[in-house]
Amino acid sequence: MSEKLGKIADGLLHGKIDEVGELTQELINDGMDPEEILQKGLFAGMDVVGKKFRDCEMFIPEVLRSAKAMHAAMEKLRPVLSEESSSKAGTVIMVTVQGDLHDIGKNLAGMMMEGSGFNVIDMGIDRKTEDIVEMVKKEKPQILGLSALLTTTMPKMGEVINALKEAGIRDQVKVIVGGAPVTDDFAQEIGADAYAPNASIGTEKALELVKG
Amino acid sequence: MPKINQTIQTTPKFRVLSENQIEMIYSAALDVIQRTGARFHHDEALELFKNREAVVSDGNLVRVPISLVEKAIKCHPRKINLTGRTEKYKIKLEKDVVNFGTGSDLPFTYDRETGERRRTNYNDVVNAARIVDFLPNLDFFMSHGIVQDVPNPQVYDRHQFMAMLKGCTKPMVLTSVDGDGLKDLWKMASLFRGGEKEYRLEPMFVTYIEPISPLKNDKTAVEKLLFSAEKGIPCMYTPCPSSGATAPATMAGMLVQSLSETMMASVLTYLKNPGMPLIMGGVTTVLDMITTSYSYGAPELSLASAANTDISKWLGLPMFSTGGCTDAKVLDEQAAIESATSNFYAYLSGASLVHDVGYIDSGVNASLESLVMNDEIIGMIRQMGKGINTEDEYLALELIDKIGPGGEYLTHEHTLQHYKEWFQPRLQDRSDYETWVREGKKTMNDRIKEETERILKEHQPEPIDDNIQKELQQIIDAAEKRHSK
Repeated sequence: MSEKLGKIADGLLHGKIDEVGELTQELINDGMDPEEILQKGLFAGMDVVGKKFRDCEMFIPEVLRSAKAMHAAMEKLRPVLSEESSSKAGTVIMVTVQGDLHDIGKNLAGMMMEGSGFNVIDMGIDRKTEDIVEMVKKEKPQILGLSALLTTTMPKMGEVINALKEAGIRDQVKVIVGGAPVTDDFAQEIGADAYAPNASIGTEKALELVKG
Repeated sequence: MPKINQTIQTTPKFRVLSENQIEMIYSAALDVIQRTGARFHHDEALELFKNREAVVSDGNLVRVPISLVEKAIKCHPRKINLTGRTEKYKIKLEKDVVNFGTGSDLPFTYDRETGERRRTNYNDVVNAARIVDFLPNLDFFMSHGIVQDVPNPQVYDRHQFMAMLKGCTKPMVLTSVDGDGLKDLWKMASLFRGGEKEYRLEPMFVTYIEPISPLKNDKTAVEKLLFSAEKGIPCMYTPCPSSGATAPATMAGMLVQSLSETMMASVLTYLKNPGMPLIMGGVTTVLDMITTSYSYGAPELSLASAANTDISKWLGLPMFSTGGCTDAKVLDEQAAIESATSNFYAYLSGASLVHDVGYIDSGVNASLESLVMNDEIIGMIRQMGKGINTEDEYLALELIDKIGPGGEYLTHEHTLQHYKEWFQPRLQDRSDYETWVREGKKTMNDRIKEETERILKEHQPEPIDDNIQKELQQIIDAAEKRHSK
């Protein structure tokens, strides 16, 4: 069985989506502890992916294919994982604020976070502040990722944070903001918990925030 | 005796695509519009499409038959003339006439005192305007930075235009917040011409609008398109796809998609009011697959833009291309390399407006010094574009015979007359080593800094007439009032 764990890690590295999904299912059927599959198979593989990406040995398209493979495995694994394990990385809500229809950065960050084991809920683009607050209330995510590309829509991110405060749920969720005109200073000004200049740093920050 | 069967090439010739390749891309774009369609987040636009042969499905997905697309694309003028706020600067947007200018709306400006980047303010835009007003090789002005020290970001565009007008008398390309913003900018510009009809004869600016790739058109973009169509305002609809992320990773695929986006706008404006002056565009670049940045220094940007220019010329539309920009964070060797190569390629391609000169930091940071450096680069490039004159006076057969073996040309009248046709650098150093040491071992960067400070200290553009200034301010005040409600 441990041979299959190695194959899972290797499959993740090479972006073999179907194979990783199938192997995960086989190990579940074989009766292996889901926690072990997660740690020694999936996370072990994604750690190597992360390292190779940092060393410029893997590029974004390859990393995203690995993330897709991770996603395929998690779909099989999540139903059998204990509540504690399946939410270990946590849930993330990703959304582009009202008035803004740009979403490539948000989507990219969402995919990378999925690759790191997060359960990602994508609310899409141009979403009203009250809708975002409602979704946070409903899904109780650990992380809320807000995106804006325009200087004219950027202030909406502050509006969302204020609305979370007014709804009394600001301390229940960590807010990460990103987008071309956004800066660390701006993130602090509006009271966000972190600023993500790009998708991979966003994922790192999300992991740090969840660890606490 | 004069010869027969002669071809004289007065300038270098350059193209990326053959006519057959252009036809392939155009044909594929027609298929995209008919088969895939584009989304329009705007009710009036959807009505305009529904009332004609187009099919609207899934709420806002519009597909248009080829016959209508081809009718629309033929209705735009082949040429557009622009005049600045005074009569001094006029430019023509037509095939193979290349005008260079800045880009717009950068959230940050490189602070020359601290060496750090900071939020762009009103005064930064006035300064950029003054520098562009002065530099001889920059022909049009976009704001460079986005004005952020205004009470309400929803009316930043009016303040920004005022800052631009204060500092610069050259023709402009303007961004706006929405349809209402564009209307105010158009009203402001019309003040300099005395009326709406007069303004049509002599427009001052092109309005910059962009779709959201792939194949999405947001409400404000459509508002601006429809207003431009109504008033005949020259307008560019310029896709900004990042190849590999919001467009295919192949250059040809990105060109097909971009052209579809542009032609969709052509159809919409045709349905509103045929004949709007349309400029093709496209900042067609790659998403860097390590950093995920939208690259302003990638060779693919220049390659795809030049190909796009070939397509625009075939369609008979002016082209908005890109050059003089960089991913480098400061004005360093990388900035110089990327600025020079992109400017050169865009120039050879014959694009009508080459913008984003002076962009650093992948399109988020504005450098005033980069404008000064690029002015020198463009001067060199224009010289290389002049080609070789082969008339008798230039072949100089008589002269060579007269001077003879072992003679000299320095003191001859022919030299005195023709050396003035050469490019004379203003900033590049060609001195000998000893002189360079004696004059303080200045680098190009030192000289660019000094020249930037000198222009800012000395150059003042022609002021705006007091009465017009008042009326401009009234339009801005009224907009502030409307938005404060």
